[in-house]
Amino acid sequence: MKHRIKWNFPAPLVAMAGLLLLMASCTHTVQVADDYPTPVGEQIPLSVGIYLSEDFKNYTYREDSEDREEWNINTGRAQKNLFETVLGSMFSNTVSLSQFPQKVPANVEIVLVPEVRELQFTMPRETRVNIFEVWIKYDINAYDPQGEQLANWVITAYGKTPTAFLKTQEQALAQAINIALRDAGATLYTGFEKVPELRAFLSGKLRSASLQEFKVKSRKME
Amino acid sequence: MLKPVFMTTLIFLSGCTTIVIDEYRRSDGELAMGDSVVILGRRHSSDYETEPDLISCVGSELHNPALGVNIIPEKEFVDIMYPWFEPRTAPMHVRSLDRLLENAGVRERMEAYGVKYIVWIDGSTETTASAGSISCTISTGGAGCFGFGTWDKESDYEASIWDFRDRELSGKLSADAKGTSYMPAIVIPIPLIARVKNNACKGMAAQLQQFLVPSSGASS
Repeated sequence: MKHRIKWNFPAPLVAMAGLLLLMASCTHTVQVADDYPTPVGEQIPLSVGIYLSEDFKNYTYREDSEDREEWNINTGRAQKNLFETVLGSMFSNTVSLSQFPQKVPANVEIVLVPEVRELQFTMPRETRVNIFEVWIKYDINAYDPQGEQLANWVITAYGKTPTAFLKTQEQALAQAINIALRDAGATLYTGFEKVPELRAFLSGKLRSASLQEFKVKSRKME
Repeated sequence: MLKPVFMTTLIFLSGCTTIVIDEYRRSDGELAMGDSVVILGRRHSSDYETEPDLISCVGSELHNPALGVNIIPEKEFVDIMYPWFEPRTAPMHVRSLDRLLENAGVRERMEAYGVKYIVWIDGSTETTASAGSISCTISTGGAGCFGFGTWDKESDYEASIWDFRDRELSGKLSADAKGTSYMPAIVIPIPLIARVKNNACKGMAAQLQQFLVPSSGASS
C-alpha cells in the first residue's frame, strides 16, 4: 500500500526537524541486561574456577559501516550474568576468579575462560523476512590451575524475534540477543561433557576416585 | 431508528474472516484434579516463528481452573525447565521425551507442576497481499486523506497434543484463518481490521477445550 504525504511547513522548521531526525537516527544503542534461569540437571563433580575478563564483562559490539547506521550493542552485563548462572550450577563447586593465571585457589581443578569471538546481526529490511536475527560466537578455554591449556572449543548461539510486537529496532534486537544468550547457555550446559579433552579429563578423575575408594575399602577389610 | 444504523456501523467496522479447524484425535482428554497443561510455540524454523502473543492468547482462553484446565504460562515453564525447552534443545518428537526424562531434575519438576499435556503450536500469521493507495495532505487550509487500501492476512497453525505421562501423541489440530482488512480514507482513514490471528486463537482454544475436557463440548 502506498501512502503519499505532502507537508507544507516553513523551510527552517523542516530543516531543523530533518537535522534532529538525522542525528537521532545515526546511532543506535542497545543495552542488553537480563537475568537468566538456573539450569535443571545434575552437577558435574568438579571444582571449577571461572575467570571473566574486564573485556568480557563490558563487551560492546560497535558497527559503523557504509551499508548500515552506527550500532553500539552492549552485551557485557547480560553475558556475565548468564555465564555466572549457568557455570555456577553446572559444577559441584565454582569459584569466581578476579585474576588468572595468578592466585588460583588450591582446590580448583579446571579454570574456564570464555571470550567473545564474533557477533553478527541482520535486520528485516536486509533479509526481507520479518525477523531480527543475531549470531554470537564464543571461544571457551579450559586451563589447568597452572595455566596450561586443557581444551578449547567454540559455541555458537542464535536468536531471532519477529518485529510484530516490538516497538523499536533496539528493543527487537535486544530481545533477539537475549534469546541468543539463552541459546549460548543451553549449548554450554549440554555440550561441556561432549568436548573430547574434557570427557577424557572427567573419566580419568572418576577412575582415580573409584580407585581411591577401592583402596580405602581394601584397607578397611584388611 | 438508531439501532439499524448502529448495527450497520458495527458490520462495517471489522473486516471479514473465515476459519477452518481440522482435528485428528487418538484419545480423549483425561485431565484430573491438579493436572496442568503447557502450551508452547515452536521456534526452530528459520523463516518464521510462532508468535508468543498467539500462545499467550490460546493459554488465557483455555485457562479455567473451575473447569479443571490449569495452564502454565509459556515463559514460566520454559524458565523452570531451562535449558531443555529452548528452540535448540526442545524435544521434536514424543519419543524424545524418554531421553529428556532420564534427567532426574526435569522429571521431578514436571511431576511437581502436574504436567499432563504438552501442546506444541507451530505456524504463523502473514500478510499475503496488499493493494490500494492513500494520499494525505496537510496545508494551511486544513488536512485530510483520500484513497482506499486493502490487505489480506492468513493464519496457519497446527497444534500437537502430547500426553506427557503416557508418552504418546494424543491428537492434532489445525486452524487456518483468512481475512481481508480495508482502510477507506475520506478526510480521515478508517481502518476496518480483520482479526485473523485472534480468530485463529479463539477457534483453536475452543477446539482444544473440547479435546481436553470432552464433557465441556456439549455445554459450549
